[in-house]
Amino acid sequence: MHIPDGFLSPTVTLPAWGAAAPLWYWAIRRNFGTSSTDSLPVVGSLTAIAFVVQSIMIPVPGGTSAHLTGVAILALLYNPGVAFVCESLVLLLQALFFGAGGFTVLGVNALAMGLLGPGAAWLVFRALRPLWPRAAAFAGAYVGIQVATLGVSLVLGLQHRLASDYMPVPFSVMLPAMMVPSLTVVGVVEGLYTVATLSLLRRARLLDAP
Amino acid sequence: MLHEPRRSQALLATWAVSVFALSALTDLAALAMASAAALLLFRRGALRELRRVMLAVVPLSLGLSLASWTWLWLLGRPPPVAPFAALTARTSLIAFVTFSLLRRVDLLRASAPFPTAARLLVLCLAQIHALRLLVTESALGLRSRLPRRPGTRDVVQGSGAITVALLSLSARNARDIGDAMRSRGFH
Repeated sequence: MHIPDGFLSPTVTLPAWGAAAPLWYWAIRRNFGTSSTDSLPVVGSLTAIAFVVQSIMIPVPGGTSAHLTGVAILALLYNPGVAFVCESLVLLLQALFFGAGGFTVLGVNALAMGLLGPGAAWLVFRALRPLWPRAAAFAGAYVGIQVATLGVSLVLGLQHRLASDYMPVPFSVMLPAMMVPSLTVVGVVEGLYTVATLSLLRRARLLDAP
Repeated sequence: MLHEPRRSQALLATWAVSVFALSALTDLAALAMASAAALLLFRRGALRELRRVMLAVVPLSLGLSLASWTWLWLLGRPPPVAPFAALTARTSLIAFVTFSLLRRVDLLRASAPFPTAARLLVLCLAQIHALRLLVTESALGLRSRLPRRPGTRDVVQGSGAITVALLSLSARNARDIGDAMRSRGFH
């Protein structure tokens, strides 16, 4: 789902870096404290979980596969700030070590996939949890994926609007191309995965699972 | 001639600036010139990196461009081909420069003068390595227990279980690492 380098011009990527930088600073200070012996091991471990979960490929009908994002579970277990920091580090590691995604688009990808998506997942989960916790977890993860995908599509649409010779794919093509797989497959898989993980955590009485 | 870690830091800084600069190019002639320069500069190992680009980047950008162009053509307003070609060329060029340059950089050495960043990098990579082994073993275990290929439901359920194991393992690892750092005088 994340945008690769070359799809967005510096007119979009530089402001996104500018917007993401203070949020990274705030999220790290707020969630991980100032002592490196307390914060670094936790950040490193949770980032590694998000990274490894994203490498799990789920076979989907039709012979193709989708990968989990695993950030919704971090947002539900901890909070969206933790998910934002960890997902941003995952994106940075992917860009630096595997050439996946990209460095110029890191701000955009982190804001969409690390902040908007998990933020929406957390809000939906909090709103629906008193009614039906399992459905709340599914709905939270499902909505989180859709919001992140929509965010990415909107930025690509904005790039087309700003310079159609730079991004020739119009929003009318980009939106269904991204949202249809997300609505039909990726969101459902992420929702089921989140429900399965939370119910196992609850059964094992681990980590005060909600 | 720069020595480590200055060399790796200079290469990383050059890469960061150059990918932003390359991401601003839209003209096909400029992209062709930049591609020729990149091939000349990174000629050692260029074939291997081009192969990586062909596998990892070109299918996405070319597929999206072709699908989009065909869709607009079917709607009766065929767009010019040049922007689509530039999009594919730009993404491929940036990926080639990134792959080629990062192969020449030692990230751990480059981050050495920044202790917090270096420690975080080492911790993330070590944890990824440890947790990946658990995931691989779990996937092999799942496959060996089933008489058929694991389906969507099997893998999703298995992923839930493995995430629980990953969370408990990482919580224990984080505690151990924190204790080890404190005992060595880190704060």
